[in-house]
Amino acid sequence: MTLEPMTGEAPAVTVRSLTKIFGGGATAYTALAGVDMDVRAREFLMLVGPSGSGKTTLLSILGCVLSATAGSAVVLGRDVTTMRPDELPAFRLQKIGFIFQGHNLIAALKSRDNVALVQELRGVPHAQALKDADEMLAAVGLAGKEHSLPGDLSGGQKQRVAIARALVGAPPIVLADEPTAALDAHSGHAVIELLKALTQERGTTVICVTHDPRIFSFADRIVNIEDGLIRPDDGSHS
Amino acid sequence: MNTELPPARRAMVMMRVGITMMLKDRARFVGTVAGVVFAVVLAAQQLGIMFGLLQKNTMFVDSAAADIWIAPPGTELFQPGQRVPASTIDLARTTPGVHLASPLVVGGGTIKKPDGGNEGITLIGTDTSTWLGGPWNMVAGAREAILQPDTMIFETADREKFGGLNLESIREVSGHLVHVGGFTWGLIPFGPSYAFAEIDAARDMLGAASNRVDYVLVTVDPGVPTEEVVSRLKARMPDLKIISGPDFHTAIVTNLLKNQLGMSFGLSTSFGLIIGLVIVALSMFSSVIDNLREFGTLKAIGCTNRDLTALVLAQSVAYAVVGSLVGLFLVTRMAAGIRSARLVVITPAWLTGLVPIVMLVLCLLAAILALYRVRKLEPGMVFR
Ligand SMILES: Nc1ncnc2c1ncn2[C@@H]1O[C@H](COP(=O)(O)OP(=O)(O)OP(=O)(O)O)[C@@H](O)[C@H]1O
Ligand SMILES: [Mg+2]
Repeated sequence: MTLEPMTGEAPAVTVRSLTKIFGGGATAYTALAGVDMDVRAREFLMLVGPSGSGKTTLLSILGCVLSATAGSAVVLGRDVTTMRPDELPAFRLQKIGFIFQGHNLIAALKSRDNVALVQELRGVPHAQALKDADEMLAAVGLAGKEHSLPGDLSGGQKQRVAIARALVGAPPIVLADEPTAALDAHSGHAVIELLKALTQERGTTVICVTHDPRIFSFADRIVNIEDGLIRPDDGSHS
Repeated sequence: MNTELPPARRAMVMMRVGITMMLKDRARFVGTVAGVVFAVVLAAQQLGIMFGLLQKNTMFVDSAAADIWIAPPGTELFQPGQRVPASTIDLARTTPGVHLASPLVVGGGTIKKPDGGNEGITLIGTDTSTWLGGPWNMVAGAREAILQPDTMIFETADREKFGGLNLESIREVSGHLVHVGGFTWGLIPFGPSYAFAEIDAARDMLGAASNRVDYVLVTVDPGVPTEEVVSRLKARMPDLKIISGPDFHTAIVTNLLKNQLGMSFGLSTSFGLIIGLVIVALSMFSSVIDNLREFGTLKAIGCTNRDLTALVLAQSVAYAVVGSLVGLFLVTRMAAGIRSARLVVITPAWLTGLVPIVMLVLCLLAAILALYRVRKLEPGMVFR
């Protein structure tokens, strides 16, 4: 799939001189040292780099769960670094799907309730939210597991529920931090393949942090980050 | 996609999640409810016993059919003590608005057991022309038995203690042989149980003057306000204590709470509540700590602090409701089990109504620590 910039279409994400310094004084640590990065709408971008290079930090700022020290990060037309703290939860809820390294499901809730919760918070009536959840679970190959608790599912199945939760209601952007790290090679491959297919179908922009070279082939583009900076030779399409 | 969910519905959604999470953790749920139950049982039981003990001390005043008591000056409790002048009765009877005025004699006596030992009794000499001073709560025989010479009525709970008393048993009371003419139930104050005799017989047994009067019991004419008669009696007998029955009751309760019962029962009741508070608070806090990742995830996917507050408070309300219901059930059962002539555990309706409210406040207080932790939680932690 070619991803030349379409004329007139705004990028999904524009990051400029983004800096994050943890702590202060003698113990201050610069995790992001002025990151510049663009992500096109509907792009499946993989963010790779050594441990401690700042991948999670960057993803956290884009996901509005961490504040930046300096610079800007425009997500879907809004600079998230200057948003009021009380605007952030609603922005996350409406615009961003999250997939974590662990499945992070609510253990007490059935898989369909885990998925439906997001829709209900968005204002979708209970019955419709359950219907959306069941459809989404079917789409990730978990038809018949709607009433299972996370504890009764395998690792791969749990991560599929997490994908369903991230994609239900079709948020425009999905942020995933090492979504296959906790899975064996086979289910990891299956999960990323599913994520790729579903997001392509829906035109979702995906930023996926990974260490796993076996899944690089699913990326539209790979961005390398090192010591809090994007490696300059980047921008190549895979 | 930008439809705003009304806050109430959104809170309902979060409360449902909270309750589901609470019920999933079966062991913690049972433990926390047990904490609330403990607080309810201990607090309500302590108060119930306290009310029971207060009742022991007011029961004579409560049961006596007197609207007004004339007592020796300085009287604070109903107990043997100083006398009132014999002339008091005539003074009272000639006061406008007074219907009946009856003397009452109260004194300490002893009953000799067949095996030789002695036990104390609170000897009541009652005016059998009015019966204002008892006896009441008869479970065997009739009160009229004391009209027979040398006949008394005793407390059924002390029959064994007094050496196997039966109707028609003969015992020596303060040096006089008497027949047992009947039994009352539950007339045991802090001191020895009440034992009733005709007033002149009682004076005899007490070795008292034939005109001894300890209290005068007054009833007022129909339609006359008690307070008015109290004022008139006070004017005529400024040196005596003139007090209405309900006021005497209140004075006894106040006196006992201030001097003896209030402190110890207040402490034990608070103790129960504090332990309950600590158990619920620790349980809710540790639940948040154990599920920190889940709370962080909820925040990351878009839940606000208000959402998570609804979730946590739903749990604390549920603990309060379930704990109160179970606790009150146990309290009622235990009160029935404990109930005897010696101690009646009294749980008035208002106490039953108050328990869930107090537990609600307690559980909401207990949630503060958990709420503080949840609100402080950074959603970014889920990526760590
Ligand atoms: N809250 C924090 N306080 C201080 N330092 C932090 C904090 N969070 C991250 N760091 C530091 O910032 C640097 C970048 O962390 P980050 O988690 O973004 O790396 P990463 O690329 O995701 O690494 P990994 O591949 O191991 O997940 C690390 O050196 C980390 O120790
Ligand atoms: Mg990381």
